[in-house]
Amino acid sequence: MTWLIWRQHRTEVCVLGLLVGVFGIALLVLGTQAHDLFPGGPARCAGEAGVNEACVASFRRLDEEYGYVENLLAGFYLVPVVIGAFLGAPLLARELEDGTWQLAWTQAVPRMRWLAAKLGALAGVTVTLTALFTAVLTWFRQPFDAWEGRFQYDAFDLEGLVPVAYALFAFGVATAAGAILRRSLPAFGVAFGAFLAARMSVALLARPAYATPLTTMEPVPVGGAKDQAVAGFADWMIEHGYADATGRRLSWTEYYELDAAADRAGTHLNQFLHARGIQQFSVYHPADRFWTFQLIEAALFAAVAAVLIGVVVWRVRRRMI
Amino acid sequence: MTATEFALRTDGVGKRYRKGWALRDCTLALPSGGVIALVGPNGAGKTTLLRMVVGLLAPSTGTVEVLGHDVTASTPQTLSRVGFLAQDHPLYKRFTVAEMLRFGRACNLRFDQGLAERRLAKLGIPLDRRAGTLSGGQQAQVALALALAKRPDLLVLDEPVASLDPLARHEFLQVLMGAVAEGGVTVLFSSHLVHELERVCDHLIVLNHGRVTLAGDIDTLLAEHRLLVGPRTATDLDRAGTVVEAVHSDRHTTLLVRDGALPAAPGWQAQPVALEDLVLAYLRRPFEPSAAVTSGVAA
Repeated sequence: MTWLIWRQHRTEVCVLGLLVGVFGIALLVLGTQAHDLFPGGPARCAGEAGVNEACVASFRRLDEEYGYVENLLAGFYLVPVVIGAFLGAPLLARELEDGTWQLAWTQAVPRMRWLAAKLGALAGVTVTLTALFTAVLTWFRQPFDAWEGRFQYDAFDLEGLVPVAYALFAFGVATAAGAILRRSLPAFGVAFGAFLAARMSVALLARPAYATPLTTMEPVPVGGAKDQAVAGFADWMIEHGYADATGRRLSWTEYYELDAAADRAGTHLNQFLHARGIQQFSVYHPADRFWTFQLIEAALFAAVAAVLIGVVVWRVRRRMI
Repeated sequence: MTATEFALRTDGVGKRYRKGWALRDCTLALPSGGVIALVGPNGAGKTTLLRMVVGLLAPSTGTVEVLGHDVTASTPQTLSRVGFLAQDHPLYKRFTVAEMLRFGRACNLRFDQGLAERRLAKLGIPLDRRAGTLSGGQQAQVALALALAKRPDLLVLDEPVASLDPLARHEFLQVLMGAVAEGGVTVLFSSHLVHELERVCDHLIVLNHGRVTLAGDIDTLLAEHRLLVGPRTATDLDRAGTVVEAVHSDRHTTLLVRDGALPAAPGWQAQPVALEDLVLAYLRRPFEPSAAVTSGVAA
């Protein structure tokens, strides 16, 4: 079976391996240069950014010289779907398209053993390639994360555990769609669409609700910059704004009315707000929830992938194909 | 006969798809040895029946027993005793012929690589060619060589020659019959072509509209049926219910009867019937649930 699986899927595995290799090496080279800007490590430098001039300069250079790579990395949120769907779509669909399922399942290997071997091998390749790529990417982003936190969409979605779970999800959708549609290309399309829809809705709607966000509320300081965030830079800000002295949150219209009133009175805005007991509040998830959130989201996608694979197994076992 | 002397036994087998029943109430018992033809028009349910025989499909009703084992169990041992050649003889198109043989070796308990190589060499099919670049006839031969290399006890072929040109068809049947002559294998194949069957087959199953309308040993079937030719008559001749088909011309009436049960009336002549005419007569008959005819060893 090992030889057969390799012979049937070596093209996909080689193409994906090559892509992961090329991008991985490019990131390693650029990442080494970026890391060299921080002799003491980017994390420590971020802590000293206010005090240490060299660190400030390092982060400025990082942004100037490697900021473009960081922007390009956002496109890599598609890496898991490319890997998972590319390996999953043809698993059953190609056999069904070419009629070779009738050949494969009438040899002496029972179909469930055949299916288990194929699913195991290709899911294994999916996990391995995605994990390798994610490891390099996570390492590459360390200096950026030290500066920007890891809860932004261009960090959280590309790092840690979740990309592997996304890839398994794409693999599951593609395999199940291939079993039902009996065609590779439509199955790939379905996996792509389902991936984008699921990722977007989970990131925007479900993710903020994995835990109850924390809320801080404090009076507007007399000095200080306008709109200064109360939460730390690495925290994930869900919502921030102003509330009156009783804690009732002000709509932005009310805020702009106050702003205009301060203008008319010729007072500095913060002083004007402070005098009226206006408070500023933040609703946020603290930065140390990163791994909890990663685990929850990874478990969510992995569970859906398991259900989809279950559907495939059930259909093949019941001989519905 | 004990159970294992039957190559295939089905009991009340039916298969329902979303559109409706593809096959109903199929009860058959076919002896080991020899060649069994499954005949019927397109859409009669031939492929459905064959796929259930090799365990690719699960029946909706009834049981299928192949070589004494329930096929839905699908153990490596039972799978390795049955060879299957699907319609349009699918192969992995990007595998070379040698890789197709390696596939057979990797996925089977017994696989006679030497036998397959000898067969292909005799037909002049190079091992280093990709399967997809071979002609249709050559692809069919590779698929047949793969199935025969398993040294199966039952070989099932779905429309094996339908897509082949006359020359390739002849060559294919020659190789197949050669393998049968070498002994040991029971062959079950489907066809919508009726001629050539008599030369090749021992046993016949006629399938129409998802039902078995005729099944039995070919010699027995031919001995049981005859054509009666007499003066044209419009009266109901089917008192005994043995008339399969009545054809009226200007002056004559021709009856195809079973068991020769029609009393010999003056002016009537009995003739033997050709297999093709017999099959066509059964295919033309409108369906009646009780009219299925089985003979010989059929249960």
